Amino acid sequence: MAELDELIHQPLRLKIMAALHAERDADPVEFSRLKAVTQATDGNLGSHLTTLEKAGYVAIAKDFVGKKPRTRVALTPAGRKAFRRHVDYLRAVVEGVDGD
Amino acid sequence: MGISKTEAASALADIESTTGRGRLLKTYQVGGPILMVWGLVWAAGYTAMGVLPPERWGLAWLILDAIGIAASLLLGRRGDKAAAKAGQGWKVGAAIVAIMAFMAATYVVFRPTSVEPAIVYPGLMTGLVYAGAGIAFAPRYLWIGAAIFVASLVGFFFFQPWLAFWMAAVGGGGLFVGGLWLRRA
Repeated sequence: MAELDELIHQPLRLKIMAALHAERDADPVEFSRLKAVTQATDGNLGSHLTTLEKAGYVAIAKDFVGKKPRTRVALTPAGRKAFRRHVDYLRAVVEGVDGD
Repeated sequence: MGISKTEAASALADIESTTGRGRLLKTYQVGGPILMVWGLVWAAGYTAMGVLPPERWGLAWLILDAIGIAASLLLGRRGDKAAAKAGQGWKVGAAIVAIMAFMAATYVVFRPTSVEPAIVYPGLMTGLVYAGAGIAFAPRYLWIGAAIFVASLVGFFFFQPWLAFWMAAVGGGGLFVGGLWLRRA
């Protein structure tokens, strides 16, 4: 059954997960693009990405393009599943199946 | 722990707006390089009109348009792999071909009696198409379309002796700069 995922429910983490879920069929998303989509600051985005990575919801890859460092992020299968479950829970609450 | 209906609705709205913003930025990042290609095509095509005799204009544009369409399809596929996988890439090519067919048909039906309206018409048409796209879904296209539209009119009314070169520099340059602006979104 769908359930609240408190880790994902934090507003910025919810946006990060939504942005990554929308890109699930594409290449991993670059940090700068994720920052633009979520409208977060570097520090804030970085710390919430670390939290999501520790939970196994996102995979972070760091490499270099020429001499420029690049950070790319993608949802893991566990993250995709957790996000879908969380969205199902939110829909259930809105439709009055659960919650108040 | 549960959450209220209002909180859940607000979270769903956040997801929706984040997804929408992601789509819009993707549209800009895929569209930017395509616009830059068309800026170069315009610059080359209108410069050719300025230096070549009129009987060679058609061939010059045919070659340049073919290059532009091929590059647009390639960039569209590379830029949005998800859309390409879903078989959506053909829509870009189909839209460009439809617009060109419309413009060609308009020339045939209205038969401009002097060369200046024929030179400026693609600028007006392109301005309209981009403005429409901007109003419908991606606001930056509105500004690019409006700029191309106004620049074409300014050229027609104030720079007629150099109209082809004006369209090459201002129209082609405008599309190229607009493409850069989209790419950096």
